[in-house]
Amino acid sequence: MRNFILRRLVYAIPTLIGISIITFVIVRMAPGDPIRLVTFGQRDITGEDIARLRHVYGLDKPLPLQYVDWLLAMVQLNFGQSFIYHQDAFQLLLTRVPATLQLAVTALALQLLIGVPLGVIAALKRGSWADGAIRVFGVAGHALPAFWLGLMLIILFAVTLRWLPSQGVLTVGKDVWDIPDRLRHILLPAFVLSLTGIANYSRILRTETLDVLGQDFVRTAHAKGLSERTVVFVHALRNALIPVVTALGGILAALVGGALVVEQVFSWPGVGQFTFQAAIAKDYPIVQAATMFVSVLLVISYLLRDIAYAVVDPRIKTG
Amino acid sequence: MTAKQRTGRVLIAVFAATMLVATACTPGGPAASGAPSATVAASASEKPQQGGRVIEGWATDLATIQPVLSNDTTSARAWGLIYDGIVAQDAKSGEAKPKMATYTISSDGLTYSFEMNAKANWSDGKPVIAQDWLTGLQGVAKSAKTVRKSTFQDVQGFNEYCAPAGTGKCTATASSITGVTIDSANPKKWSVKMTKVSCPAILDLIGYTIPTQVFGKYLTATSKAEDFDNAPENTNPTVSSGPFKFKEWRKGDQAIFSRNETYWQGAPNVDEYVMKVVANTAAITNGLKTGELTFGSIIARDLADMQTVDTVKITKYQNLGYTFIGWNTASPTAVGLADKRVRQALAYGIDMDAVIKAVVFGEATKQVAHHVPVQWAYPSTPLEPYKYDKAKAQQLLKDAGWTLGSDGILANAAGKKFSLTISTNSGNQERETLAQVAADQYKQLGIDAKARPEAFQGLVTKLTTGDQTLEATIIGWSLGGDPDPYSIWHSSNIPDPAKKIEGFGFTAFKDPAMDKAIEQGRNPTDGNCSTAARKANYETFNKILNENQPYNFGYSNNTLAVSQKSLQNFAPASFSTLANVHEWWIKK
Repeated sequence: MRNFILRRLVYAIPTLIGISIITFVIVRMAPGDPIRLVTFGQRDITGEDIARLRHVYGLDKPLPLQYVDWLLAMVQLNFGQSFIYHQDAFQLLLTRVPATLQLAVTALALQLLIGVPLGVIAALKRGSWADGAIRVFGVAGHALPAFWLGLMLIILFAVTLRWLPSQGVLTVGKDVWDIPDRLRHILLPAFVLSLTGIANYSRILRTETLDVLGQDFVRTAHAKGLSERTVVFVHALRNALIPVVTALGGILAALVGGALVVEQVFSWPGVGQFTFQAAIAKDYPIVQAATMFVSVLLVISYLLRDIAYAVVDPRIKTG
Repeated sequence: MTAKQRTGRVLIAVFAATMLVATACTPGGPAASGAPSATVAASASEKPQQGGRVIEGWATDLATIQPVLSNDTTSARAWGLIYDGIVAQDAKSGEAKPKMATYTISSDGLTYSFEMNAKANWSDGKPVIAQDWLTGLQGVAKSAKTVRKSTFQDVQGFNEYCAPAGTGKCTATASSITGVTIDSANPKKWSVKMTKVSCPAILDLIGYTIPTQVFGKYLTATSKAEDFDNAPENTNPTVSSGPFKFKEWRKGDQAIFSRNETYWQGAPNVDEYVMKVVANTAAITNGLKTGELTFGSIIARDLADMQTVDTVKITKYQNLGYTFIGWNTASPTAVGLADKRVRQALAYGIDMDAVIKAVVFGEATKQVAHHVPVQWAYPSTPLEPYKYDKAKAQQLLKDAGWTLGSDGILANAAGKKFSLTISTNSGNQERETLAQVAADQYKQLGIDAKARPEAFQGLVTKLTTGDQTLEATIIGWSLGGDPDPYSIWHSSNIPDPAKKIEGFGFTAFKDPAMDKAIEQGRNPTDGNCSTAARKANYETFNKILNENQPYNFGYSNNTLAVSQKSLQNFAPASFSTLANVHEWWIKK
């Protein structure tokens, strides 16, 4: 197992280097120049000013040199200084991580707490109105664009009904530890972010539960006289959940990376919104730091998933 | 139909109906629980109430609270709350007037003498003195990241002091700025000597008055640029001379400022000023409707909706800027743009009044010159209004040698067809619509016109480097501060790719008389910087532009400031929103 993990870690290195090259090239291939963007319209700005700023940020060096400089600094967690904020890009990114993690973890919890029971209910009540409703919900969960649903929920619950706030993480003036206020703020964005996952899990659970319910060991459990509740929750569900657990491997990183739209709609000050605005401003250090951060999260979570596979499935060779 | 099928259809119908209800819910209906209550405006004689909090909505986070490094409006708002300027622009007219310091200008126009207000003090109890102003200037000189060095290049000794050597005009050969003299008998008095008469100087010399007791240690003889550029107080200021003190910056979410009890003009009435960061203009509109925001600016598209909300007050005033179509008069592809008559035809050939109604719902004023009507530099003599006149446009095109071909497209004597691509930044719905409407109207003149949205980032590079693939571009200028148009219209700012010269004169239009008027309005040979003398030069300047039409000057938007009715004494105007912020109060 140790060799398996080491081998996987070694494989991760070229993956991350590849990502770093692609990120670096794509960010610079996009049209525009960050310094010209910052100085556009500034009265009395001169060509010398622009040249000075390009030099300060190392943008006057040849691209391969810029990449090597960045790579060497990145190994020491130095992603450079933001062109816009004049501060360390990685430190700035880290200030946004807690908000995104709150959103991602809450969304993940909602996915499991809502998706799993819905899938089980749909399987147990197969063909009923409840099954139909859950399936419609599943289709809607996949089909509705997050930005549209988010706006509709804001109009309905915040602007019209005034039940929930329309934006942000906390009411202005509230203590940062005011948990009920935070919960009111996170409800809508977390629900929108979790919707696709809820639809996915309910569908997977429905299929898996139906499959497991038809297997011999479930019939044996019934034959032994066990109650329906014990059969379903102790024997069937435990087996049906295996694909869900393995699917969880990359879900957190995917949620962190995929929260961009939701963060933008709900003015949620997380990594996605921050990176989006940095990309518009061509703030290379932040965009590169954010991309590498999410990439490392993904690589780690896939590594953990592979380890989990290896643990639960002896057919996977670890030696 | 089986029961199951019926159930499924009913469920789908219920889901669809729910979404329709959500979509159709018109905001601005009767306020439900939790909504801010509608209050009547306070009478002028009513005594201001103390306390409360002002929450302003911004669509971007602030970048820094260090004025020397700041180059965005959000940051400028933040540092403007904590650092007062020595001179201010009148909120309505834009003319310079003393604020934290009084000033006089010598008869030769070269020396500015200032005296800081005796009451002006820092929140730590120290007086605001001349050295604090000089510290700001030294910060600009030493910073590697500021974009302001050129602003002070006419201060005597600045170029010799500023660093690093070899960048721009900086030589870094002097240990002090010789043109700045602080009165040894009175630390609140100082003078600034300029190398040449510069009329915008009085607003440039507002500079940045920052606390020496905080930033002085980053600006010693041995300090490096990064010492000042990376100072922790740039994001966490510890003392204030303005109406508010910095309290906390929750990045990406909000910046909180608390009342400066010792503010030299009198402590503000409100306890806190919060800059709340939201995702976009739609979020600002929603926040104003729900009462989560105290004030903010909305876009014209949301105005009708906002007018139905009875808890808010809407204040309209002219924006200090305009949206225009710039013609590349040197375009190798749209050759017709080199001809003044063609550009005039393009002005007559678009119904800008109708465009304003369609694109910005009437919330703008048609522009026919560079300066906007609220600026003192706006011409007093009437200019050609270029009222929509299709027949006149067609005649001008004909006079210029463009005749309609059998395919309905104009062509010149050489057989070159008149095609025109109007570029603008994608994602800006207003400009994209304007580009499309303009293209449609120019097609009616026989021009093969089309709109081309592209990324703003790329467009900026093309414009400033003089990319000749651009034929026409819709973009906007923001005209804060002095009305000096040198950076945009003087011929020295026409970009030249061959010589690697960059600039904002991307129309390539030049006129010796216009250059002279700009120069005389900026650096007059007779040293006369009076408003009347400068205005006369800008009359000439605007007249030449109006006649030659290197831009279709488009329109100047209204700013639509929306505030909760509970906010009193809120009086924003074109040149300042916060001029009287210490007098604002919340009616409970």
